[in-house]
Amino acid sequence: MQTFLPTKLRRADRILIVSVPAALVAIAVGVLRVFNPATAWFFPPCPFRALTGYLCPGCGTLRALHQLLNGHVGAAFKLNPLMMVLLPCVGYAGASDALEAVFGRGLPRVFLRPVYIWMLLAIIILFWIGRNTPLAARL
Amino acid sequence: MFCSKCGAPNDDRTWRCVQCHTPLRAVPPHVAFDPPEVIPNYLWRAIVCTVFCCVPLGIPAIFYATQVNTKIVRGDLAGARKSSKRARMWCWIAFGCGLAVNLFYAVLLSILFNRVR
Repeated sequence: MQTFLPTKLRRADRILIVSVPAALVAIAVGVLRVFNPATAWFFPPCPFRALTGYLCPGCGTLRALHQLLNGHVGAAFKLNPLMMVLLPCVGYAGASDALEAVFGRGLPRVFLRPVYIWMLLAIIILFWIGRNTPLAARL
Repeated sequence: MFCSKCGAPNDDRTWRCVQCHTPLRAVPPHVAFDPPEVIPNYLWRAIVCTVFCCVPLGIPAIFYATQVNTKIVRGDLAGARKSSKRARMWCWIAFGCGLAVNLFYAVLLSILFNRVR
């Protein structure tokens, strides 16, 4: 079974490679649960937005995660619905890759037909354009 | 069993002569038992880069993810591997640029913030 990490790596190395990002994610979750990016000074606003004045597809992700970690699912959806929809999928795939790296076996793989990935790409670009139109403010 | 070439006595179960290494019997065909190759399309990493990095460079990574799966469906495994590498490359570019831009911006802001105060 070909994995995303070279199979010749020792198990200890694989565990190390996985544990560093895992630790970073854990720290990020802790910080995001306590501090609100909307008010805390140390979260930089989105550079794309600062530069162009337009929202990017990822704008509101950190604020949404803060709301989610504090149990406010509705508020999180308002801040970045795209991220909220994709989060479970990304979580599943990320966990699968981590398990595969450590135990040599991930979660069941889902092969996405190319059409679905094209649709995802279209949704992201439409979301990007759409959230910058006056229509988005009415929702 | 005696070797047909050098005449050395060999055990009946050996494949090659112990003395001159001449094959004594037909070598058994190598049984190919390779599990199906998984060509990663790095889609979830591309999505993370798009949604977290503030720099819309994850978009090309998602584009190459579509290419990987398109080529797998068509049976073009060599092409799929190539697109897989490109997808990985764009994930790293998006991640690196996102990190660099955000760090630069954070440092810039904190300097300005301290000046204003």
